[in-house]
Amino acid sequence: MLRKRIIFTLIYEDGFFNQSRNFRLQKVGNIRWLEMNYHFQDIAFSLDEIVVLNASKGDKNLKDFASMLNRLVDNVFIPIAAGGGINSVADAEVLFENGADKIVLNSALYEKPNMVRDIVRHYGKQSVVGSVDYINQDVFIKNGVQKIDIPLDSYIKNLESMNVGEIYLNSIEQDGTGFGYDIDTIQRISSIIKMPLIVAGGAGNEKHLLEAISLENVDAVATANLFNFIGDGLPNARKYLIEKHCNLVQSV
Amino acid sequence: MKVVIVDYGMGNVRSVASALKFLNVDSIISSEEKDLNKADKLILPGVGAFGSAMEMVKARGLDVALCEQVIQRKKPVLGICLGMQLLGVSSDEGGGTEGLGFVDGCVGIFNDEYVIIPHIGFNQVTPKSSSRLYRGMGHSLDFYFVHSHKMDSNSDIGQSYCDYNGNFVASFERDNIAGTQFHPELSKTNGLDVLKNFLELF
Repeated sequence: MLRKRIIFTLIYEDGFFNQSRNFRLQKVGNIRWLEMNYHFQDIAFSLDEIVVLNASKGDKNLKDFASMLNRLVDNVFIPIAAGGGINSVADAEVLFENGADKIVLNSALYEKPNMVRDIVRHYGKQSVVGSVDYINQDVFIKNGVQKIDIPLDSYIKNLESMNVGEIYLNSIEQDGTGFGYDIDTIQRISSIIKMPLIVAGGAGNEKHLLEAISLENVDAVATANLFNFIGDGLPNARKYLIEKHCNLVQSV
Repeated sequence: MKVVIVDYGMGNVRSVASALKFLNVDSIISSEEKDLNKADKLILPGVGAFGSAMEMVKARGLDVALCEQVIQRKKPVLGICLGMQLLGVSSDEGGGTEGLGFVDGCVGIFNDEYVIIPHIGFNQVTPKSSSRLYRGMGHSLDFYFVHSHKMDSNSDIGQSYCDYNGNFVASFERDNIAGTQFHPELSKTNGLDVLKNFLELF
């Protein structure tokens, strides 16, 4: 039986990893900090996937982001999805070459649908994650700054018809609060699409992970909370979910 | 031992190289015939669309070079994900494309009436008892899959199966030719064990 997944999301901005709260970023540490505090190579075995997002402002420095990615993936034998500011098929290729297994697209889904189709055609739909940031029925692009004119439900239905492989659904309101996932919206969205759904925004402890991962059509739960899951936080959360009979890989 | 990761410009070869390094095996990433010639073993990775991939393979003369190394010189090869599918006869992806034809397997899309496509995540493989790829491992093993198309075969190509609303070929192994639909380089310890078995037993 296909397992569900626990995903750790890293938010990168100009050389630093960040704690995000309602999309306001707070610098936490650089990659050395991450390696020291998270023993990444070790905890990667208790995760099922990693998402790395480039939230740098202005012209996002793809080269620096890619070289960080290249260092991060060493000895991490789980899939990595990377994105943020991808503006061309060539940008996507740079990330694939530096260790990304999948590409995460957000603003481009709205602004550059033709480029999205080109990436899907070349790399296959399974290589493309569509990331959607929302508050209620409003969808925001550009790191949650610019509101677009399509309501959430129809926007996501449209991504399905664009052949995007997975949806990464992120609640701006819950983001970084540690108050738990936006279960109502997750349930509604999961009932209108037929594609893998990753939910993000709000996980503060393992009970929140359990609540969302137990929903029938949720494939994966993501957390970007660097503080709440520091050290052994993620391995312990996994152990808890397995004890609660969640359908996760049990061996490491 | 010298391993060449065959690069034809599709997808992430970085993780495969990283996994081989972890297993203390020297590898290079190349599509040059002279490198393929010197290799002891070949790994054919790949992510993406079958049609684009075969075009890239042919554009680099790799169809001819791989045939020489794998079929004539019997060099061990491991295809991963799309790389595994390319070793088969054909795919119906995008109107139909011929593969390298090294093993008797045809690639088709999952039926979306019954399952969600793509098939993404860890799922269990039941190893064929005589398998070399899974030697010394358990009876139901989790590996990471990420694909929309699957391989089926009516022949004995040493296949082991995974179930996603019906069995599909999760791996095959015939003489010097092996393939895994899953990504061993992204499948934690199980994946590393399969890579090690390929390096040691093929």
